[in-house]
Amino acid sequence: MIKLFERQTRIAMSRVKKKKSPFMYKSYSKKPKHKWIKKRKAAEKRFKCAGFIAILISSLFLASLIWNIFSSGRSAFTEAQIRLPVTFESELVEQGAYRKIVQNSILKLFPYVEDRKEKRDLFGLVSRNAPHMLKEFVTQDPTLIGTRREVWIPASSTISIFYKQRLLEQSKRGGKVTASHASWVTELAKSERMRLKFNTAFFKNGDSREAEQAGVLVSTIGSFMTILICIAMAFPLGVATAIYLEEFAPKKWFTDFIEININNLAAVPSIIFGLLGLSIYLNLFGVPRSSSLVGGMVLALLILPVIVIATRNALQAVPPSIRYAAAALGATPTQVVFHHTLIYALPGIMTGVILSIARAFGETAPLLMIGMVAFVADIPKTLTDPATTLPVQVYLWASNPELGFVEKTAAAIMVLLTFMILINLLAIYIRRRFEIKW
Amino acid sequence: MGFLEGLLAGPKLFILQWKWPLYFDRLFLITVKTKRNNERTMAKFEELIKAGLLACTMLSVLVTALIVLSVFSETFRFFSHVPLTDFFFGTEWSPQTAIRADQAGSSGTFGAVPVFLGTFLVTLIAMAVAAPLGLYAAIYLSVYAGATFRAWAKPVLEILAGVPSVVYGYFAVITLAPILRAGGEMIGLSIASESALTAGTVMGIMITPYVMSLSEDVISAVPKSLSFGSLAMGATQSETIKKVVLPAALPGIVSALLLGISRGVGETMVVVMAAGLAANLTLNPLESVTTATVQIVTLLVGDHEFDSDKTLAAFALGFSLFFMTLLLNIIALVIVKRYRERYD
Repeated sequence: MIKLFERQTRIAMSRVKKKKSPFMYKSYSKKPKHKWIKKRKAAEKRFKCAGFIAILISSLFLASLIWNIFSSGRSAFTEAQIRLPVTFESELVEQGAYRKIVQNSILKLFPYVEDRKEKRDLFGLVSRNAPHMLKEFVTQDPTLIGTRREVWIPASSTISIFYKQRLLEQSKRGGKVTASHASWVTELAKSERMRLKFNTAFFKNGDSREAEQAGVLVSTIGSFMTILICIAMAFPLGVATAIYLEEFAPKKWFTDFIEININNLAAVPSIIFGLLGLSIYLNLFGVPRSSSLVGGMVLALLILPVIVIATRNALQAVPPSIRYAAAALGATPTQVVFHHTLIYALPGIMTGVILSIARAFGETAPLLMIGMVAFVADIPKTLTDPATTLPVQVYLWASNPELGFVEKTAAAIMVLLTFMILINLLAIYIRRRFEIKW
Repeated sequence: MGFLEGLLAGPKLFILQWKWPLYFDRLFLITVKTKRNNERTMAKFEELIKAGLLACTMLSVLVTALIVLSVFSETFRFFSHVPLTDFFFGTEWSPQTAIRADQAGSSGTFGAVPVFLGTFLVTLIAMAVAAPLGLYAAIYLSVYAGATFRAWAKPVLEILAGVPSVVYGYFAVITLAPILRAGGEMIGLSIASESALTAGTVMGIMITPYVMSLSEDVISAVPKSLSFGSLAMGATQSETIKKVVLPAALPGIVSALLLGISRGVGETMVVVMAAGLAANLTLNPLESVTTATVQIVTLLVGDHEFDSDKTLAAFALGFSLFFMTLLLNIIALVIVKRYRERYD
């Protein structure tokens, strides 16, 4: 009877132990634990913790990466503008001395500045592109000549950043915000001559020497043109290769060789494809340097093995019964493949292709080799025009020491990551919606 | 969701619902203008399709041949100018002087040992980060993690794998390098801003998901009966993993690590942005080193005379790189094939 009671209490206590903290166990347990069991349990815990920490470190890294890019790139989507009282004097307009017009209007705001060096600093308040903007205003509306208008002009990138972040000290990467700059900006802000506007230039322009005028439109278009060429070349070739290897090729040493070959090609460093493009496409075939054509051709080689492998996997996933049934009903071998197997494999193929496109979209190294690092300010009109891609633009801006380009780089990365996420979402959608589980 | 559906209706229709492969043979039959049931035409069509597919396959294989041909021929030309022993055993790398042949001091020195050593050092640091992180993460995910934890941990690692390398390079330069330098100053170490440590660490994080997914596949391929047997004998989960699962999966894990190394050796953007240009003969991770890929990029970016020793040296480096990664891949393949235990 007592034994039974003891047993029941132990069961009850073990239940309590499961619910409550280990202190209960320690204080009520009569049984001393063996040292080596404790050791083993501790080792088990340590091991499990190590695994958890490994994943935690990776996630923390990703979080800090995204946080970093977001926090430094966010400000690039706004720009500071200065309201200038511009007088379009007809003499100066005829001479085309728009720079002088800008300088006059700035001096009107700060009449007390007389020192030459101070004046130069003062003119650095507005974007170096301001004269061009005024010129455009005049060509659009010639009635402006001889009148006095209040015009919003973008501030220069350092002033813009200063206004946005209110940095008072000189920044690390070559910003030139002096004490007088700071006082002028405060003065302008007090007289409501400064405002923050959504930075449309960032989405309308190409690369520029001035950070406040640099944008991502040209590189985005370049990216899309390159990807288009890449798909047009790699998709038919890759799918055809996979179909042949999977459905038609006789199992011989030759097919084994091709298989090993393609698997190895998938692991070749991407920069080697750039070398190939440089020596074969550019020097042998004479494809125009730094065009989106040659970029697409190089990226096509890069993703070809990936597409082949993905397509083969998708074809392998289609059960043989489909093939047998079609053949039994009198379909020829090509009809079996094109009317049945390929149709069922299509969602899988598409997922693989889209993921490989995402890879090509983010690729930089081979494009450096074929001269796509060029300074491209105009939208490429044909496939042979000089073009650049989004990741290359990121690389170019990242290597620019000017402070204004740091936030532009982060913002361009945000645009790049947005495209990557969209591409991946499309792949996930296709996989979820269309993939057939056998 | 309705908006998304509408947005995706286009691609859905054109890629998936419009079953384009169905029309392959019909298109052909229209072009030759015969009746569908003509057997000889169909046979001809079959042959044609097969020949076309074979041609595509040969074209894909041609890519490898082109790589070998182009890179090898330039390398061959390089070695007709510069002796092989100078390249592989020379300890001084300063190719920048040899821009034009008629220039004073035109003969740059092409001793690639510091470059290879730098590559080795950066890759070593990367693997020191990626191997434990990737392996532990794989073990945790395949053995310990519950379904909900997996459901959010897997996508995180997939995103980490999908981020373009240029973004990692930017992160290394802008964020990690200053942090490491400040941290080094605090404990009295002077860490170069383009140290091997920065580049290696970021590269390691970049390779981690790759190593993880490869080794997770290997670990989950070990039959459950083995680990159940071990657990039934009273071993703890970690003892089972260490003494049963990992030994059984060892060839696969070694090959995963080798593939990770080959990835690191060939990685370009992170080191181009975060590692240095000067070829220092050092194994100190706090100093600036250069790698083969960095040298290829610096030698070939920009307009150069194509036939100079300088550009050819880049091809020689590229060839060594290609050869190295190929060797690593083949070794990984052989290890898996030869030492894999078969349980069925």
